[in-house]
Amino acid sequence: MSGEKEKKKEKEEKEDVEELREVLGVVSKEVPALIKSIIASVFSEEAGRDMGKAAAAFYKELKDAGMPEETAVKMTENYISVFTSLGDILKGVGKERKVIISTKEGEEIGKEISEEVSRKIKEKLAEKRREEEEEDEE
Amino acid sequence: MKTWSETNMKVQSIIIAGLSLIRLLLSLFALWLTLGWKVRKTRRAFEKQLIRQGMAKKDAKKLSAQYSKMKNEMMSTLKGSVFRSL
Repeated sequence: MSGEKEKKKEKEEKEDVEELREVLGVVSKEVPALIKSIIASVFSEEAGRDMGKAAAAFYKELKDAGMPEETAVKMTENYISVFTSLGDILKGVGKERKVIISTKEGEEIGKEISEEVSRKIKEKLAEKRREEEEEDEE
Repeated sequence: MKTWSETNMKVQSIIIAGLSLIRLLLSLFALWLTLGWKVRKTRRAFEKQLIRQGMAKKDAKKLSAQYSKMKNEMMSTLKGSVFRSL
């Protein structure tokens, strides 16, 4: 009777070892593959090119609209930082933090945009007024 | 008293766990080694696109530095989580 019990116990232990072997095999294979794919989606020539295209299009639009070089570069930098704030996202996982851009940073961006917009509106209004004056004179 | 087969099983389990851990660490080490090279390639492709649209090389380099910053942040987060789990 005890011989049977021992055999059963031995069989169970053998199964446990097999299971452990399988689990560890999968973990050691799948975890690096998962990390590798996450890294490849951010750090690859293709990803860089795509991100560069998006940023370059944004920069070009700003320049074409007559934005000064310095401001255009700064705004493009802010635009990229939204996409590249993966570190902040990772840090925020499991925490209650939900904001990716800090309030101070957001205020700065908002201020910059509103200044630029009001400057542009003033320019356009002055241009329109000048055109109207010219028309009146004619 | 423990039987021979019980001891044998435990030794086997320890060896399997050790081998898997070594395999996992080696793969992670290889990933870490290639990461710097991948970041450089990504930065170069990114800068190329910006320069093509008329941005100064200096500014393009400044913008692409975000990738290095992101890599450092990722590594520090990963290190932090590994040390916390130990």
